[in-house]
Amino acid sequence: MLVFATSQPAFAAGTIAGTDIQNIAEATYDGPSGPVTVQSNTVTIKVDELLNVTVASTDGGDVSTSPGFVGNVQKYRVTNTGNGDEAFALTANVASGGDDFDPTFQKMVIDTNNNGVYDPGVDADYIAGTNDQVISPDQSKIFFIITTTPSGVANLNRAEVSLTAVAVTGTGAAGTTFTGAGQGGGNAVVGLTTASGTASGFLAVQSVTVALTKTAVISDPFGGSRAVPGSIITYSIAANVTGSGTMNNLTITDPIPAGTAYEIGSITLQTAGLTDATDADAGNYNGTRVSVAAGNVPAGQTRTVTFKVKIQ
Amino acid sequence: MRPVRSALMLAVTAALSSTASIAATPLQLKSDVFVERQVVRSDGSNAVVLEKPNMVTPGDNLVFVVRYKNIGGSTANNFVVTNPLPPAVAFNGTSDDSEVVSIDGGKSWGNLDVLRITKADGKIRAAVRTDVTHIKWNLNQPLNAGAEGKLIFRGIVK
Repeated sequence: MLVFATSQPAFAAGTIAGTDIQNIAEATYDGPSGPVTVQSNTVTIKVDELLNVTVASTDGGDVSTSPGFVGNVQKYRVTNTGNGDEAFALTANVASGGDDFDPTFQKMVIDTNNNGVYDPGVDADYIAGTNDQVISPDQSKIFFIITTTPSGVANLNRAEVSLTAVAVTGTGAAGTTFTGAGQGGGNAVVGLTTASGTASGFLAVQSVTVALTKTAVISDPFGGSRAVPGSIITYSIAANVTGSGTMNNLTITDPIPAGTAYEIGSITLQTAGLTDATDADAGNYNGTRVSVAAGNVPAGQTRTVTFKVKIQ
Repeated sequence: MRPVRSALMLAVTAALSSTASIAATPLQLKSDVFVERQVVRSDGSNAVVLEKPNMVTPGDNLVFVVRYKNIGGSTANNFVVTNPLPPAVAFNGTSDDSEVVSIDGGKSWGNLDVLRITKADGKIRAAVRTDVTHIKWNLNQPLNAGAEGKLIFRGIVK
């Protein structure tokens, strides 16, 4: 025999707290005067509220920071895996052991508009006990932990920042019962998560620095290297980027020294010639200085700019 | 005086109708539901006990017991017991597989291993216990006067 039916979606959190489970059996038989149907008594059991919660860090990796940076944003998702509407109290821990530094806690913020992004001035600050968020079964809420990085941290130092959520009704070992405290008038029973969840995210210091080294080569009109009127000085500026990450929009600028005159069309970047006009290429000369936009330079690389002047 | 008299009349009517229904059904059917609880014995070992629950939580194991007894004076033929599964309970089998089940609200019946489900994408899969909506026992022998028995199935609170 083949019977077809359509499958129903299943919910992880289970039957909603307060639901009545009612069971009735029915029997039919042929009596002396025809078919008879008998119903049993009804057994009613109420479904208690199960308190469960999970927390996840949703940054997808380390969050970059830099020494003294104000306003690190780390994102966490709190999911009610129980079967009743439940409020959760949150705490942030910035002083974890085993990491390289402890950021300074600023505040925790609720993703009020549920867009998954911290919107200053729109998303409300979280204050424990004042605006604990009620989350429905199988639903999640995003929270942000905002911190400041101390100024003394070194490149590549990491800091662990964790968020803990506990059911406001109560926590404890699985099976702990809070009589009458459940949604729908039943008890609240602590589930396997102990009604408490914690997740960690990490801050990582990504600092890049640039060191400029300027050298000069003189060639006089007589084939030597004396600094006399008419000698050409070739300046070379090497910008060496170190640390980790990328230095964005690096621009190298140098004024033309007094007593010298800029040699028209002499700017180069990585030995390639650039025009003096402010145009599509990276270099320009404005009458008093040369400027070269070297762009985004990854750590470990060097950009070298040269230009020439003539001694008056 | 008037309200009291009318209340009395109502009570008499109710008593009469209930007597009539008992007389018409010489078959007793009683449903019980128990929940399995893990308990720790005094010697530290674990034991599973059946309790009569008032409250359960998702994941609890339930044991449903249906007792029947022919308290009339004549034989009942074609005796069939049906138990619709409460919506919040997932079927978790019987001890002897003597039942047939329905996965479509009692319209059609069969052993679970021959039933098929059409998924949302049109593909067909074998039915599983959580698809079951009704359980039925066809007792293939007449239930003589005074005969009794019980049927047991297990469920899990969804």
